[in-house]
Amino acid sequence: MRIRDVNKVELVKEKAIELLVKVGFEGFTMGKLAKECGISVATLYIYYKDKDDLILQVGMEETERMSAMMLEDFDPEAPFAIGLRQQWKNRANCMLENPLSVQMMEQLRTSTYQEKIFERLIETFKATLGRFMHNAVKRGEIEAMPLETYWSVAFAPLYNLIRFHNEGRSMGGRPFVLTDEILWGTFDLVLKALKK
Amino acid sequence: MELNMNDILLFKTDIRTEGDKQLIAKVMQEYKIANWTVDQDDIDCVLRIVSSQLKLHDVIDLVVHNGYQCEELT
Repeated sequence: MRIRDVNKVELVKEKAIELLVKVGFEGFTMGKLAKECGISVATLYIYYKDKDDLILQVGMEETERMSAMMLEDFDPEAPFAIGLRQQWKNRANCMLENPLSVQMMEQLRTSTYQEKIFERLIETFKATLGRFMHNAVKRGEIEAMPLETYWSVAFAPLYNLIRFHNEGRSMGGRPFVLTDEILWGTFDLVLKALKK
Repeated sequence: MELNMNDILLFKTDIRTEGDKQLIAKVMQEYKIANWTVDQDDIDCVLRIVSSQLKLHDVIDLVVHNGYQCEELT
């Protein structure tokens, strides 16, 4: 019995993400991926049943990896400012270090794979972040508000800064690099907006 | 995940349309081959079978006999 070659699987995953971002779901073929990896198409079919299976598996594994990074060292029982700061730190690190994965996840979010990949994950996120928000409300740190309002105020500014940074430009094509100063300056404003 | 690579049989075929696939599904059922898929997104319409019993030429004979091209994917 031969065992699945872990290094090869990692290479396939990495190249699959690159290729998906470059050519999209339609342009993606097992042949192109095999060529990028320098392996035969047959080897790909040993690991994956078909293109759909490959995209689903790679998408799910990567989404899970990124989610684990985003929840690392985050304690939903922590005081509001500390917990939110940890969330910002995790999300910023995760998204700045993995720009291709972020792009792929965006593609997946608007695709037919969306349901299968994000369903389980959204529950974990909603439960953890929901608890964090409710704790903050209970302690009188923030006003009660719908989770969607909270999420939009808490994270949309961060996501937008990261998008500007990854694209290298902001409004009207102005060059942009995200610095710690801008990141944490924006965080302070978000904290001010949310705190009672 | 452990995989016994020798149990995975791969073929280039021309099982291209949904009708082709349905016909092959009947053949597979008849021969009690349960673990099979065809990647119809792929140019080679790769047929993938997981079986410790079947040999390459068994599958090639079976598919060719039913009017489709079938050769080992290497």
